[in-house]
Amino acid sequence: MTTSIQPLTSAPWKQGVKDAIPLLGGYIPVAISFGLISIQSGFSVFETILISTFIYAGASQFLFVAMAASGAPLWLMVIMTLLINARHIVYGPNLSPYLNEDKRWIPLMHGLTDQIFALAHVRLPQLPDQAQVGWYTGAATLAWFSWIAGTALGAIAGGELTQRWPLINEILPFALPALFFVLIVPRCNNPLWTLTIMVSAVTALILKLLGYPNIAIPLAAMCGAVLYYALKNQRIMRGK
Amino acid sequence: METSMWLALTGIAIGTYLIRLLPYLWMKQRLAKQQKEGGISAMPTWLTILGPTMIAAMFGTSLVPIHLDVASWLATAVGMLITFVVWTRTRSMGLPILSGVVAFGIITILF
Repeated sequence: MTTSIQPLTSAPWKQGVKDAIPLLGGYIPVAISFGLISIQSGFSVFETILISTFIYAGASQFLFVAMAASGAPLWLMVIMTLLINARHIVYGPNLSPYLNEDKRWIPLMHGLTDQIFALAHVRLPQLPDQAQVGWYTGAATLAWFSWIAGTALGAIAGGELTQRWPLINEILPFALPALFFVLIVPRCNNPLWTLTIMVSAVTALILKLLGYPNIAIPLAAMCGAVLYYALKNQRIMRGK
Repeated sequence: METSMWLALTGIAIGTYLIRLLPYLWMKQRLAKQQKEGGISAMPTWLTILGPTMIAAMFGTSLVPIHLDVASWLATAVGMLITFVVWTRTRSMGLPILSGVVAFGIITILF
């Protein structure tokens, strides 16, 4: 993965918006589905939009409305949704070496989703210090607004939209694996990292196929990290 | 929506925000403290490894198609192959992703 500083050809926020455009392919169809399901679960359009604006975390939002519809206890809803979001714990610390002392980072942390983390983890080290807040603001704001707009669209006209263009839901989300791929493939520049990344990805894929979508990301990432340490230690031992 | 539901929503929103914010503030303080004490400010190694493995895991989960049939897996494989080929030529983000989505879409529509 290249970490050399690259000069920007446009304003930092514009570059952030440009870099985040592929996210729309994944965000909008999923947000439309969420809007639709939330209305079907008994929430109003306004409430649905508020959920997307303030919780702003895909999987936990779906769980929240599903548990609300099934009449689950409120304390359980809060705990379960926060547990799903617990994987976000490692995102902020991973980005912190690249972020300056600017106080704007504090509210901007609201926008630190899985996808924005993946994008920022690769792009921030390549940007000059003074461009980072602007870049992140552009990328995170586009992603946030697209999530809110997609939710509103789904809540108001989701049924008609998915009936008229059923392929929207099937084709556009492929932008997400393609995005993650171009973000992670430059890391595969030596056998140790290549194997670590492959094992993490395959483990996550298998866990999701087995029906554990929420635990797949943190568990597979930990498996990959353990493998990395094991292989590295083995290499050191051999060196001795 | 009942008051209790509003409370739950507020609790989840604040909790999610704090999950994103507090670890960042903790690490920022830790790095600043290390620098102040004259040492080289560095993140724990395990954390620097978890970053890329998290992205790899997101990639793995996002690969699973909506319908688990042969056509969807074929579309996924072709889409990824095209993304990779275009990436090796351009080393950029936008064009490889667009090409991958188009290839995935063509196979989905054809089959």
